Amino acid sequence: MAKKKTAQIGRYKILGELGRGAMGIVYRARDPALDRVVALKTIILSDEADGRAEYHKRFFLEAKAAGKLTHPNIVTTYDFGEHDGLAYLAMELLEGTDLRERLQQGAMSPIEALEIAQQVAEGLGFAHERGIVHRDIKPGNIMLLDRGQAKIMDFGLARMRAADHKTSTGMVLGTPKYMSPEQVAGQPVDHRSDLFSLGVVLYEMLTGVRLFAGEDTPQIMHNVTYAEHEPPTYLKPELPAMLDFVVARALKKDPAVRYQEAYELASDLGTCLAELRARAGMSESSASATKTVKIESSVATLPEAPAARSIAFDTRLPFARQFDSSAAVERLAAPSRGDRARLGRAPRPVGWLRRLRHDAATRWFVLSTLAAALAGSYAAFG
Amino acid sequence: MSGSPLASVVFLKIQEFARRPVSEQARLRAQLEAVVAVTAAELDPASRIVLEAGDGAVIVVLADPRGALRLAQRALTACAAGLPLAAGLNHGAVQIAGRKDGAGLTGDGIAVAAAAAEFAPPARLLASRAFRDALAEAAPGVEASLVKAGTFTDPGLRAHELYRPDGEAAKRRAGRYALAGAAAAIALVGAGLAARIAVEGQQPFIESVVAKYRSTAKQGEGYWRALVQKVRF
Repeated sequence: MAKKKTAQIGRYKILGELGRGAMGIVYRARDPALDRVVALKTIILSDEADGRAEYHKRFFLEAKAAGKLTHPNIVTTYDFGEHDGLAYLAMELLEGTDLRERLQQGAMSPIEALEIAQQVAEGLGFAHERGIVHRDIKPGNIMLLDRGQAKIMDFGLARMRAADHKTSTGMVLGTPKYMSPEQVAGQPVDHRSDLFSLGVVLYEMLTGVRLFAGEDTPQIMHNVTYAEHEPPTYLKPELPAMLDFVVARALKKDPAVRYQEAYELASDLGTCLAELRARAGMSESSASATKTVKIESSVATLPEAPAARSIAFDTRLPFARQFDSSAAVERLAAPSRGDRARLGRAPRPVGWLRRLRHDAATRWFVLSTLAAALAGSYAAFG
Repeated sequence: MSGSPLASVVFLKIQEFARRPVSEQARLRAQLEAVVAVTAAELDPASRIVLEAGDGAVIVVLADPRGALRLAQRALTACAAGLPLAAGLNHGAVQIAGRKDGAGLTGDGIAVAAAAAEFAPPARLLASRAFRDALAEAAPGVEASLVKAGTFTDPGLRAHELYRPDGEAAKRRAGRYALAGAAAAIALVGAGLAARIAVEGQQPFIESVVAKYRSTAKQGEGYWRALVQKVRF
């Protein structure tokens, strides 16, 4: 039986279909009251009576909260309601492409990546200030408009999806690639979880590498929880060094040491952006006079170096790129006979003769005692 | 070499690094690199390996524990310039790890140094027992400047006996040894004299000492007179 074509949902007249997702269909629709074209996102409500009531309640709560978010970097929700077992959200209709599609098209310039990440961070900061956490920041939820503006989509829907990620058996469904470690673990999440997700997106934009990729969901979850990333400058040496710190901080596994505010992240991204722009300006002005020669790094890359606390468990540390340690490494790798003797054994207790030769205090004690013994002998027998 | 090579490891840790703003992290990291560049320059490039740690830097020093201690102490002077450092020193096993030519180092030597740095208060260093032993072997007597700070247990429930530098400890030890030497001298000479008295009796001994003193004094007087004559002449 052919499906009946939907002509109207609520007061909205359907003009066409924009896309389909796991939760429902997105339509292009007209609002006759305001004569405005909108994106109408429909969500199929649960068939179970108990589930439906809960879902219904959560949907309206979240939609109401999302409706309060009016920010240049957040897709505006105009209206929401229910029609024939379908919940719907009327949202700002945007002409552009989403970040997932943009990433599929090819490499992104660092400036473009930072501009997008900064805008997303600003949008998140605005929402977080109002107590709203997105919970599903990923390239597919970031819309890119023609003039370089980035907008976060699906505020309000994320919580429903996030709830769907975990089943009654504790199994996490869907792809956790952009989730934070606490989200993957099924623990309560707060706004810092969004900042981790944005860190993963930023890393992908900067390097083209999908962080925490794995063959299946358990492997991805393991990587999200335990794997450390390579600093972006290892993969793209032209990036500002400060970006390593920004990314590292956004991707901290422990939320307590991660960025605590989205605005703080936005500010740091702004600083990196300013450095990149200044660098771009300088290279443009001096392009005719100088030539940049890229030096190939001879050192293979290692994941980001662990901090002192975690070194007790993972002691592998990479060679510092700024220092040439090759001579000593060579010595360690192929020790001479003398080095084998020096480096190959544990320290031994120091003998008396050696101590006498090198230790002035011991020497004084032994010599004065010897002299006294001689004097005493003379006094006794001399 | 049957096992992994042993080396002195200096772990320079920027305190509270993860909690600082990123711009400050970048500044502190750059400052630390400058400090490491200056301090490591004193060592032969063939005897030091510099490693990156998430919250600091690690300098592995081959066959020179004294140099490692000096390096750590010099690096800590940078605290006065606003670099919040703490240092951990250890002497232990290190091994080249990673792909092909080796991308880094691993080993218990690094783990213990990291744990020591973790326990060290701001602008201070803590050294392991193994490092103190290595220092004692390389430069006997210098290890006296490291005094016991206590036993610390890391999150992996491993106990570390750690030592802290004490500039006065070496002086105090030298004083103690001098005092012990003087006491031994007094005791030995006294024992010699007592033995003589026991054999000869007290009166004859005093008389012989007085006689010896007089003859020596006479000899001395004659010597002085001759000397004065010579000077006058």
